[in-house]
Amino acid sequence: MMTEYRSAVRVLRPALATTIAASVLLLSSTTLAAGSLAAVVDGVEPKIVKIYGAGGFRGLEAYQSGFLISAEGHILTAWSYVLDTQYVGVTLDDGRKFDAKLLGADPRLEVAVLKIEAADLPHFDLSQSPDVPIGARVLAFSNLFGVATGNEPASVQHGIVAVKAPLEARRGSYETPYHGLAYILDAMTNNPGAQGGALTDRQGRLVGMLGKELRNSQTNTWLNYAIPIGELLATVDAIQSGKFVPASSADGAKPKHAWSTGLLGLVMIPDVLDRTPPFVERVLPDSPAAQAGLLADDLVVFVNNRLVQSCQAVTGEIDRIDRADKVKLTVIRGQQLIELELAAPQ
Amino acid sequence: MPTPRFLPRIPTRPRKDGLGRPSSCCLAVVSVVALLAIGPLSADDDLELREQSALQAAVDRVAPSVVSIETVGGLERVERLLVGNGPTTGLIVSPDGYILSSAFNFVQKPSSTIVILADGTRLPAQLVATDHSRMLVLLKVEPGRELPVPEAAPEDEIQVGWWAVALGRAFDLTRPNVSVGIVSAVSRLSGRAIQTDAKVSPANYGGPLIDIRGRVMGILSPLSPQKSGEVSGVEWYDSGIGFAVPMEHVHRVLPRLKEGIDLKPGVAGVSLQNGDLYADGPVIAAARPNSPAYKAGLKPGDKIVAVDDKNIVRTSQLLDEVNRRYAGDKLTITLLRGDEKLVREIELIDHLDPYQRSFLGILPQQTGTPADENGLVVRYVYADSPAANVSLQAGDVITGLAGKPVKSANDLVEIMAAAEVGKAAPLEFRRGEEVLHVEVTWQAEPDSVPAELPAAPALEGEPPQRPATGRFAVKIPELKNEAVAYVPDDYDSRRPYALVIYTHPPGEVPSDDQLLGVWKERCDRGRLILLAPKAAEGGKWQSDDFEFIRKSVEQLRGTYTIDPWRIVAWGDELGGSVAYALAFNQRETVRGVVAIRSPLTTAPVDNDPVSRLDFFLTQTKGARSEKSIGAAIQALRERKFAVTVKEQGENAPLLSDDELAEALRWIDSLDKI
Repeated sequence: MMTEYRSAVRVLRPALATTIAASVLLLSSTTLAAGSLAAVVDGVEPKIVKIYGAGGFRGLEAYQSGFLISAEGHILTAWSYVLDTQYVGVTLDDGRKFDAKLLGADPRLEVAVLKIEAADLPHFDLSQSPDVPIGARVLAFSNLFGVATGNEPASVQHGIVAVKAPLEARRGSYETPYHGLAYILDAMTNNPGAQGGALTDRQGRLVGMLGKELRNSQTNTWLNYAIPIGELLATVDAIQSGKFVPASSADGAKPKHAWSTGLLGLVMIPDVLDRTPPFVERVLPDSPAAQAGLLADDLVVFVNNRLVQSCQAVTGEIDRIDRADKVKLTVIRGQQLIELELAAPQ
Repeated sequence: MPTPRFLPRIPTRPRKDGLGRPSSCCLAVVSVVALLAIGPLSADDDLELREQSALQAAVDRVAPSVVSIETVGGLERVERLLVGNGPTTGLIVSPDGYILSSAFNFVQKPSSTIVILADGTRLPAQLVATDHSRMLVLLKVEPGRELPVPEAAPEDEIQVGWWAVALGRAFDLTRPNVSVGIVSAVSRLSGRAIQTDAKVSPANYGGPLIDIRGRVMGILSPLSPQKSGEVSGVEWYDSGIGFAVPMEHVHRVLPRLKEGIDLKPGVAGVSLQNGDLYADGPVIAAARPNSPAYKAGLKPGDKIVAVDDKNIVRTSQLLDEVNRRYAGDKLTITLLRGDEKLVREIELIDHLDPYQRSFLGILPQQTGTPADENGLVVRYVYADSPAANVSLQAGDVITGLAGKPVKSANDLVEIMAAAEVGKAAPLEFRRGEEVLHVEVTWQAEPDSVPAELPAAPALEGEPPQRPATGRFAVKIPELKNEAVAYVPDDYDSRRPYALVIYTHPPGEVPSDDQLLGVWKERCDRGRLILLAPKAAEGGKWQSDDFEFIRKSVEQLRGTYTIDPWRIVAWGDELGGSVAYALAFNQRETVRGVVAIRSPLTTAPVDNDPVSRLDFFLTQTKGARSEKSIGAAIQALRERKFAVTVKEQGENAPLLSDDELAEALRWIDSLDKI
């Protein structure tokens, strides 16, 4: 069921891209707006590059997109298996081909910087990237589905910013490493080969880098998103100047002395389902839970303001709170939402 | 490129000009600084900017009424769809705390629901009622203050081509997520929905679809033209085809929902004669006993020509009229019975009791050519059946039933479609020269198969023509499937043959020799024609394969005398699951399913007086499949199908000789009445 579901959407997505392309054409031949939109596109296209590398089997495409960020040939793109080879080829908008060198990559942000030996190239200035609001019209430039080759320009899609929100996504069943802000797009931009493409505003100013094919972990739907340039700026600068040190993955680890449901005096109902509703089975006497006034049959819905949808989630959240800190539980009791604060006995 | 000859204008809120588009004559304050910052503007940039800001203003106007919904507990999968656990969206519809959302957001049946208002206030919510026709739910919170209710766009004003903005609150709870498109169509899905090309998905189901003036046109919901399951329609998410239930409609049903009344699609309880939905007018084939149509006195043969004051020319129009209504709604139906025009009132109900076929207890004499049209010759009388109770015998000729003349088996089947178990009716039959009148009381169809059936009478003389017999390949020009068929060598077109469609287990395509090794003897013995199709894509069955099967059956029926009442889908083990699916998909054609040790993996259809369907299945005691096959038997019996079940021992062959003989007799007796 899920595979059918996915393939249906994948078939539809290219079709949509075509519609969008067609409507842009229509505009250019019938209305005055064409002049400016065409000019914007003309201005951006020379900055977009086609990248070829590893892949080409089992549904893994051997190409992706990128864009120039310096006159000397620095290219910003997405970090992916495509770059995981000694021979990465870059084709410019005018058809010139280069071998590219991988300067550095940050797997946490899934971003990489390539370098080609060239000069006087048209490029984006990362430091001039604006922030765009929800509802803003944007253009996405990428070589999705590898349609463009040689000196053919990348494909342009238009859409709007649906929302700017933290990315909560997964690839297959794995959580993605990037949890920072992302522009969620109202256009079918994130298709094979689009990763590393440029998102610009209606004036052609760079606002983000197109991400990969990911699923929204909240809704199980395919996501179309771009990472705001602001989120990438420091890392890219560091890579370009050769000072990049990959961040340690130590943050987010459990505190040394964490709370547990047992320490709080909280006994949840037996966890028997995938999403056992987190009802309190009983409260141990003289425990922090008892002192805070927690009762049996309370349904725990937030732990420190984070939604907990199952018994497992409650245990998981509580295990992450340091014993020096208070634990705020929000429970549903009858039809009331009640907030309680649990603290270690003084 | 055009250059501006006038000072650019800063957009303001659009003037409401009735077209739903921003008017082009709004002058406003000029802020040169702000505009210079983004370079020179052309007149078109100006238009675009004003459009964008009008859309933004529309979003801002409705945003305070768009809420976020979080759920706790519940299922992880529904119908094999992994349900998301992220926040979903709702829309405030009355100031005292009623909130509408999509039923999709609650398919996991959460144990608790929390609504988060636009300002971040969290409130526990109660589920008040569900609209099962539009897939909406009504929630109630106790806000302690008046909540903002958005303006609704009048449904008859909405025009195709209007801007349409879909709002959700499923990413960042402090502001809505936005998708912009246009109204693609109005009055879709039998008038239940507005269609839009804005992206509609779990990220905004339950949210509003608004026009450029910030009025709510409808509530976004995953509706499906084909299916009516809890999660159908979701497969179209973000596809450019999205649906919203018109807001005016929502306000019309809101009072009922607020009272906690669940709304369900309405049914009338008629079966219509087969025909082209979009060409032929609706003619009643049967009115289900005790259904609203039956109580209103609708009869087979009646032609429906109007519903309320709408003329009905095509069957599809009638379906639209019924599909948009709820159980409890009343319809005034105008119908033609012969030349007579009748007007009847019908009150739709939410479900029909499963249809149970009535049983007279006879097998008709199987003849390949139409009989003398003087009545139906009885081949066999079932013991203890209504027919046996009135001493009907083989050889008797039934000439009338329930006051109607009977000339052929078809007449009898049609009359029986309206018969009700337990009720009585007069029966007229001929025995020799004598005409007898009796009264029969209908029974339910039996699950058992007679231990012995009389052989068909010998035919005299040479058969008139001999089409190809033995093994041959069946091809349909435009389809890539293949099938092998087998016709017994002693085929005689004067006698009707049963057709067995053998569906191989998915991924295990048998060779023709393997097939014929099993089936040649069965076909010769049971006077069967075999059609063994092969799935096109690597042996995996797809719904396109069923189309091939339908066309192949049609082709065979063009050449051979095939009894339409005895066309059977047969599958062993997992092939039986395919046989079930085929029978449910091709109800016009398939009349029986033989499933040997097969689980039922498709939701069963309902029993129906016109599209008859019987089942013969086996299960193995103590095997792993016992539970799932048991569930299949229960599901079919709940729908009042006649299900013949053979229990087998462990390590038994697929079919013992006795069981095979019984299955063949079952096929032989599928035309029982």
